[in-house]
Amino acid sequence: MRFMIIRKADAETEAETGPAGPEHAQLLKDMMAYNQAMQDAGILRGGQGLKPSAAGARVQFRNGKPTVTDGPFAEAKELIAGFTLIEVQSKEEALEWVRRWPASDGHGNVSLELRQLYELEDFEGVAGPELKELEQQMHASADVPR
Amino acid sequence: MKFMVLVKADANTEAGVMPSEQLLAEMGKFNESLVKAGVLLAGEGLHPSSKGARIRYNGSQRTVIDGPFAETKELVAGFWLIQVKSRDEAIEWLKRAPFDGGAEIEIRQVFAPEDFGPALTPELRANEERLRAQAAAQQQ
Repeated sequence: MRFMIIRKADAETEAETGPAGPEHAQLLKDMMAYNQAMQDAGILRGGQGLKPSAAGARVQFRNGKPTVTDGPFAEAKELIAGFTLIEVQSKEEALEWVRRWPASDGHGNVSLELRQLYELEDFEGVAGPELKELEQQMHASADVPR
Repeated sequence: MKFMVLVKADANTEAGVMPSEQLLAEMGKFNESLVKAGVLLAGEGLHPSSKGARIRYNGSQRTVIDGPFAETKELVAGFWLIQVKSRDEAIEWLKRAPFDGGAEIEIRQVFAPEDFGPALTPELRANEERLRAQAAAQQQ
């Protein structure tokens, strides 16, 4: 089963300075070692870091009409700063990995959220065979490194 | 540039209500147009937070809190990862998504290796690129 580890935002990830300063060198090393350990265990499936919400936008749909609101968004701890995708045998195994998250992130004070991904089998009875085929084609063409 | 599109949760996604065949078909069409334009990198849907957990870190302490989590509109129900030329292009694509009824999505730019400056040494960067290629290959 696959899980998404969501790294919640905080004042630092929402700050405009970005991760380019020398103070981030240790964190980058630790994060790389953590990712490497996941890769060595054969469970890492992907991951990305998000720029502050100031570089983003929200789109709300009402009666089919989209309304765009530019970032930044105020509620830092409700925002997301990044994610990692893993494939493991159980939620417990996922939690064991999450407990090993590098302590240098957020100066040891971080909140993560673990969420299970839907698989094609979960849509059994809703999606017809042609939708499943489309989904499989999409994944085959989309999941390539760039 | 890469953007992550976050689909916010609502009462239905948190109750585990599966989308209708019509919505799945419309979403399939939207996804197909993203693929044809070479924009879509990845996309996934998340089970309700009742199947998830939160972990809070304080020094060496790890506190695990099992879901569900109450603040539905702060939760994520799914995401797309897309590659486009500008934030405007990302917004234009998402305006065409088959949502309604007050549904809200959030568009966020993804960090690129250049954004990390000298802290990302050539060695770390090479390592990062190798890890990404390996993880993507295992996704198949």
